Parts: sequence; structure tokens; C-alpha cells
Amino acid sequence: MLESSLNFKLLEMCSKCGACYNICPSALNLPGYDPRAVIADILEGNYEKWLTHKSIWQCLECHYCLEICYQHYGFESAMTAMRTVATKKGIYPPQVKRGWDMFAKTSRLGEPALPARKKFGLPEPKASGADEFKRLMAILKESREKASSGEEK
Amino acid sequence: MKEFAVFWGCTIQTRFPFIEKSTRMVLDSFALPHRDIDGFTCCPEKSLVNNIDHAAFVVTAARNVALVDELDYDLVSPCTGCVSNLATVKCELNANPVEKDEVNSMLKEVGREFTGKAKLHHLVPFFHDTVGLQTVKQKIKRDFSGMQVALHYGCHMIRPSHALKNDNPLEPVKFDNLMAALGAKSLQFNTKLMCCGQGLDRIDEHENALHFARIKLKELKAIGADALVLCCPSCFLQFDNNQFLMEKEGEKFGIPVIYFTELMGLALGFEPEELGMNNHRVDCSPFIEKWEALKARPPKENGVQATLRGPSGL
Repeated sequence: MLESSLNFKLLEMCSKCGACYNICPSALNLPGYDPRAVIADILEGNYEKWLTHKSIWQCLECHYCLEICYQHYGFESAMTAMRTVATKKGIYPPQVKRGWDMFAKTSRLGEPALPARKKFGLPEPKASGADEFKRLMAILKESREKASSGEEK
Repeated sequence: MKEFAVFWGCTIQTRFPFIEKSTRMVLDSFALPHRDIDGFTCCPEKSLVNNIDHAAFVVTAARNVALVDELDYDLVSPCTGCVSNLATVKCELNANPVEKDEVNSMLKEVGREFTGKAKLHHLVPFFHDTVGLQTVKQKIKRDFSGMQVALHYGCHMIRPSHALKNDNPLEPVKFDNLMAALGAKSLQFNTKLMCCGQGLDRIDEHENALHFARIKLKELKAIGADALVLCCPSCFLQFDNNQFLMEKEGEKFGIPVIYFTELMGLALGFEPEELGMNNHRVDCSPFIEKWEALKARPPKENGVQATLRGPSGL
């Protein structure tokens, strides 16, 4: 659905398995990184302490856990949810904030490098969809405001 | 073959225009019906946008797909992240009619409609499945026999598999098959499918990003890989740029990092400079020199052939 959510039933199963722990590149290579602890706390309702923890950003979204998971769910769903909650509260690594701002402002994460294009004999870049993107983001904002004011009534 | 729009993505156009160059040279050489179209935005990048606002992620990707839907084109990209993100949203919307209607009611206000019929391909599986490896073999002028490369699949070329459905997500083969078609030996090694770790640089953890790069580069050096061949601009950034940074600090691996379109371009007969390979930060010349040296070597069959044709010993 358009707004993200967590499936607690699947997470419950997830907390009893942990198959992905043995192929997760971060779990294998970053000391102290263990999504099982995060999931256990989410299930207990004690997720808040993780919002400021670097672990939730160390999930690389390689989708390895998703693929080996017999529920096709994986730790990454929990980590994505934690990151979404953290950013809603204004907690994020500085680079993430810079990236998001650039995306929201320009619709891209960088503009085509024009002098280099010339050097390589590449054609003019095509028109950007930035204006339409901004209108679309305004429409999304409006529809959310409408939905939340509907809830209040 | 159906016409297709090329989705270049932000990273290639902003940081690695030479990858765009080699990709165009390869597409033109195979005379593939590729088009550039107006109006694309960032795909958008999942690790950034989806973490902050899922709806913005879905709506932006749906709009990009709608642009190709409208023209009745397919979409092909040399960037793994772009294809994976667009395909993830396409799959989510096609599986959820209610959400699809919700997105389309917003897109309608800007005159677009997501139908979800366009096929979305990364260029590696596209060459494998649509162009065909036989065509690749016929078209190349010189292969890479005698060269051994290490492949880095790039997580998002093959995963999530429910959205991409293009290879085995845990034991992929198509990139290996493409290497075989080019005559190169694809080495098998422990960290072959390990994530590059570039994402750690995006969350201000540079030391950990270097740690990830080091693990793979050490193994590649140990197994004697002539190059690391990859298909994703983020992975390229990780292994070319970060390897260069480590070299500057005195930790030298000397593993050339080559985009698959560059490798194909070389096989098609283009010069490394034409392909922009002199813009890499890690020197590619050890790879090129070894390949050139192989060219100078007389063919293996010469000895037998000469003896067969010589006078009889009796």
C-alpha cells in the first residue's frame, strides 16, 4: 500500500528463524550489527532506542535476506521500517538528508555533467521531468492532507 | 525487436559519462532500436527515497514507467539500481489494483497513466535473453580468451527476484554466460556475490565502505584476477574510486575495474580511449597490455599445423 507498514505476524516468524543472519553481508562483516536484536525489540514494543542507532542504516538493502527467507520478507523489512520512523522524527545521517533535499528540489540526484558530455561527444541530455515531478509531489501532499483531515472528522 | 527507451539514471550521467559513451557505442554497434526520451527523473533511489517516503518512491517510479508505457516502448538501463527500483514499484502496483488506482488518480492530474505493460530490463540480461549470446559471439571482432576476470553481479541486477524475474537470485548465471560469449574466463571465488558496500559511504561510514571494498579486492588479488567486471555505477564507484583512495594511502591492489559495456566495446574493436577507459581512477592498462600481449602471441595451432604440412619423417 502507498503508506508503509510492518507485518507483525511475519516478523514473529522471522524472530524464530534467522536463516538470513548467515548470509547478510553487514552481519558477516560489521561487528555489532545484528538485526535479530532490532526485531526482538520491535516485537516487544521497545523499538525507540534503535531510531538513533547506526545499525538501522547499515542494512545495505542487497535483498539477500529477502531471497533466502521462506516468507520472502527478511530483516530488511524491519530495517526499512525503522529508518522510515527515524526520518519522520528527523533522525538521519547527514548525507541522507542532503540526498533527499536534492531529490525533492530537482527530481534527480545530480545533473548531467555537461562539459564531460561534450568531451565524449554525447548528445544533449533530454528534457527533465522536474516540473511535472514537483506538481505530482504537491498532489501527493494534498491527498495526504485530505486523508488526514478526513480521519480527524 | 521492440523499440526501447534507455534509462541512464543520475549516477551515470552525473559522475560517469564515459559509461554512457561505451553503452551507446555498444548499442549502436548491435544496431539496437534504442531511443532517448524526455521527462525522466531519478528512478528514484530506494535506499534514499523509500526510507523516507514510500509514497513518493512509488509515485515517482510509476511516473517514469508511465512515460515508456505511453510510447509503447520497453525500458532498458545500464544501471542495476534504476531497473531494480522501477521494477519493484511496477510489481507492487500490478499486484495491488487498489494502490494502482490511487497512483493513477494522481498521475492523471499531470496527464499520465501507469499501465505497467512496459518491460524493464537491465542491459546484461537484455543481451543474454533478447539480443542473444549467439549474436554477441558473431558480432565481436576479438574475444578475451586467455583472460580471467572476476565478476561482480551487483545485488540489484538480480534482486528482488519477485520484481526482476531475470535470473536465479542466489546463484545467478547470465552475467557469467555473457563473459563466456566474450571468451573470458569468469573466476569463481568466495566473495563473488558479496554486496559491494557502497551504501556505507552514503551513510557517512567511509571506513566501513573501505573495509567492504578491501575484502573483495584482497581475494581478487589472491586469485589473480585480470580485472573486476561489473554492471552497476554504484559498485563502480565503490571499487574504482575507493580502491584509488586506498592506493593513495599506500595500500595497492592494482585490480582494474571495467564496466561490462567497456569490455564489450573492446571486443567490438574500439580503442580503450574511445570508450573513455582512461577516465577511470584505477589504471586499466595492465588489463589492456596483457590482452595486447596475447594478440601478439602466435596461435596455439601453429606448431601442429606446420608439422602436419612439413616433409614426412620416413
